[in-house]
Amino acid sequence: MSALTTNARVVTALGARSIRQTFRRPQLIAPIVVFPTLLLAIQTGGAGSAVELPGFPPVQSFLQFMLAGAMMQSLMLAGNSGGIAMAIDIEMGFTDRLFAAPISRFSIVLGRLAGTAALGLFSALWFLAIGLAFGAEIAAGVPGALIAIVLVTVAALAIGGIAAAIALRTGTASVVQGMFPLVFVVLFLSSAFFPQELMIEPAKTIAEYNPFSFIVEGVREPIVAGVGASELLAATLAVTGIALLGLGLSARALRHRLRVG
Amino acid sequence: MGAASLPPWRANLATIAALIARARNELLRVPAAAIPGVLAPTIFFLGLNGAFGALTGLTGFTTGSYESFIVPISMLQGAGFTGAATGVNLARDIEQGWLDRLLVSPAPRWVLLAGMVLAAGARALIPATAVLAVALAVGAHWPGGAGLLIAFAMVVATAAIAACWGAMLALRFKSQSAAPLMQAGMLALILLTTAYAPLALLQGWLQDVARVNPITEVVEAARQGFVGGVSWADTWPGLLALAALLALLGALALREMRRTGV
Amino acid sequence: MAAIAVEGLERAFEGVHAVQGVDLEVGAGEIYGFLGPNGAGKTTTVRMLTTLLLPTGGRATVAGHDVVDEARQVRASIGVALQEAALDPLMTGRELIRLQATLHGLPAAEGRRRADRLLERVDLVDAADRRVGTYSGGMQRRLDLAAALVHEPRVLFLDEPTTGLDPVSRKTIWEEVRALNDAGTTVFLTTQYLEEADRLADNVGIIDRGRIVAEGTPAALKAGIGRPHVRLQLEEGSIAAAEEACARIGRLLPPVDGKTVLVEVERGAADIPRVVRALDEAGIEVGSLELVRPSLDDVFVAKTGHHLEKQGEAGGEDEGALAV
Repeated sequence: MSALTTNARVVTALGARSIRQTFRRPQLIAPIVVFPTLLLAIQTGGAGSAVELPGFPPVQSFLQFMLAGAMMQSLMLAGNSGGIAMAIDIEMGFTDRLFAAPISRFSIVLGRLAGTAALGLFSALWFLAIGLAFGAEIAAGVPGALIAIVLVTVAALAIGGIAAAIALRTGTASVVQGMFPLVFVVLFLSSAFFPQELMIEPAKTIAEYNPFSFIVEGVREPIVAGVGASELLAATLAVTGIALLGLGLSARALRHRLRVG
Repeated sequence: MGAASLPPWRANLATIAALIARARNELLRVPAAAIPGVLAPTIFFLGLNGAFGALTGLTGFTTGSYESFIVPISMLQGAGFTGAATGVNLARDIEQGWLDRLLVSPAPRWVLLAGMVLAAGARALIPATAVLAVALAVGAHWPGGAGLLIAFAMVVATAAIAACWGAMLALRFKSQSAAPLMQAGMLALILLTTAYAPLALLQGWLQDVARVNPITEVVEAARQGFVGGVSWADTWPGLLALAALLALLGALALREMRRTGV
Repeated sequence: MAAIAVEGLERAFEGVHAVQGVDLEVGAGEIYGFLGPNGAGKTTTVRMLTTLLLPTGGRATVAGHDVVDEARQVRASIGVALQEAALDPLMTGRELIRLQATLHGLPAAEGRRRADRLLERVDLVDAADRRVGTYSGGMQRRLDLAAALVHEPRVLFLDEPTTGLDPVSRKTIWEEVRALNDAGTTVFLTTQYLEEADRLADNVGIIDRGRIVAEGTPAALKAGIGRPHVRLQLEEGSIAAAEEACARIGRLLPPVDGKTVLVEVERGAADIPRVVRALDEAGIEVGSLELVRPSLDDVFVAKTGHHLEKQGEAGGEDEGALAV
């Protein structure tokens, strides 16, 4: 069996394991599905009149606008959960067992990231379904949905990479857990929940330059308007940048852990 | 046994005081544990303000200052979180066998519950004060003495209710994995109200829910001083709602405590 | 009046019968040892007797009060130290005992006094003001025991008090239990260690799979199984000659191999000199001689068909062996 096949199998097996773990424990699945859905419902209901504000971008409904933000929240929390799970694996010695096996070390990390990406995919599908169920239209139709799904999945992988890097570097679950509030800080300082032009300073300016805003806009555009080349490009660059950062940091952290032990 | 004992009412009071002291110890000896409870509502406050602040531009909004509008929400969220944390701690105590020590003693079950719930009420003052300080710093209106008192009273009572809810779930499921349910439950209760906007500006379904949700009265009572003047007419519905919820959830939690071991 | 009286006690959990009809009686001032392997139903029984669990059948009274109808009175009369030492790692030992005193309605000053006395008694004075989280396993058990005694209970329940402890800590707990009993406290103790039941208990109840399979004093239980036997290994001389010599003293048992002689002796150790003399007269040189007494494990095997302890576990010393 070639090395590539072996590694592919390892990545798949570990990926499947991460997904199973997440769906089996309420503490892990709730932040990814329950809380973002709850928040989506409440924010749509509570702030929905915002569409009447002068300057609000033309949308079919506030729900349609918010779907991208909900997906963003969900995928970032999925990444965070993945990092916590990886840190727990390290604390419990499971990772050492994997390191001792005749497999590529990086495939261990990729396995975890594959799981996180799958969760990202799941959350994209989940929120698209919720949107459709409650009357929101996907402006760019099926191609638009696909673009959103791909962006969300890759973004989940990217965030997962950063969380994995933190997990590998610190080896402590409670440190990764501590990143949880940071997710919300980043989300609130982006255009995840409201159009950037209508936000209040200083959040407004930060959101203008926040790479996560670009990703959100890239997911949002096909849903509320249509496939926009500039939004898509910006989102792709942002996601790629963060993904490379995440993978690069994980690779370094992995090397460090293997050296230091 | 016997001869040296205190009369029951004094023994109960002493037990409640001892349980509150234990909760205080946890805070003093592991201060870092209080951080999430303070950070979460503060981040939410600043975040909501930065994201949704423009809503005050809508006709029908009762104030021009979104900070003033949502600060009571964040204070109540802190209370909800503190109460839910009490539930999580109880679940941990059950998992580690600590609750058995309390259950095997002759202390009445309601006394054990009262200790936990009162401690939660007191602890909720910490995140509430932190959020208030931040809100005032970014320009929220000073609520005045009466407004402040009412807001804090709402916070303490809401934390007590959240603690009963959390305790009920902890005793029912005997596991910390019930934590998300404890937190989501309180989050939903507090946000399915006039949290983000006045009643008239809420979307249809949320307007209906907020109308029947007793916590809406609590929110409005806590909000009074921040957006205008304080009046008894705006306060008593909130007090009534809290009293009713406390009685209901307190009874449910007590029932679960008595049923432990069935 | 019996300190503990149990009639047909049952507990079922979703189809699993953890306890299936237990009858027992513990007299005042007695130490009762409840012996059985893991999963036998010991902890479930103790939880029912300490009002932490409701029985699904049968009745029980502790210190004269029914565990279901008069639960509060039962709680006021008993001290409990459970298998999981129910401690708060952030409290100090002293704080824990004082909290226990408060739970039992003792005034603060009295609680302080008793805490001082108890901490001294279990040798935790130096650690008293350190957090429980820093205590070793043995220290935690001693603290748990001290807390259980703060209100001077009539009946003390100890659920596996020495599981996981080193031999020194185990001996300390045993001494403390004996001292308590000498002062008049009834002790109900569960254990999976037959040495513990054998040495401490006045009466032993052996439980397996939710039922009591044997009950009585340790001596009576063992006597009921059989008499001690002497196990000989020869250095020089023929087996047949040795067997002949021994057959005059006691009943020969089936040999286990070609080098060992087993002979049942009625008077136990008192018969050893006779055996030695007979072998000497027959010119047989003995390599090793041991007196093997039946153990509670033998009782267990006889009643249930399987062993109580895995071979070579726990107690350490071979039960009753007297190697020469």
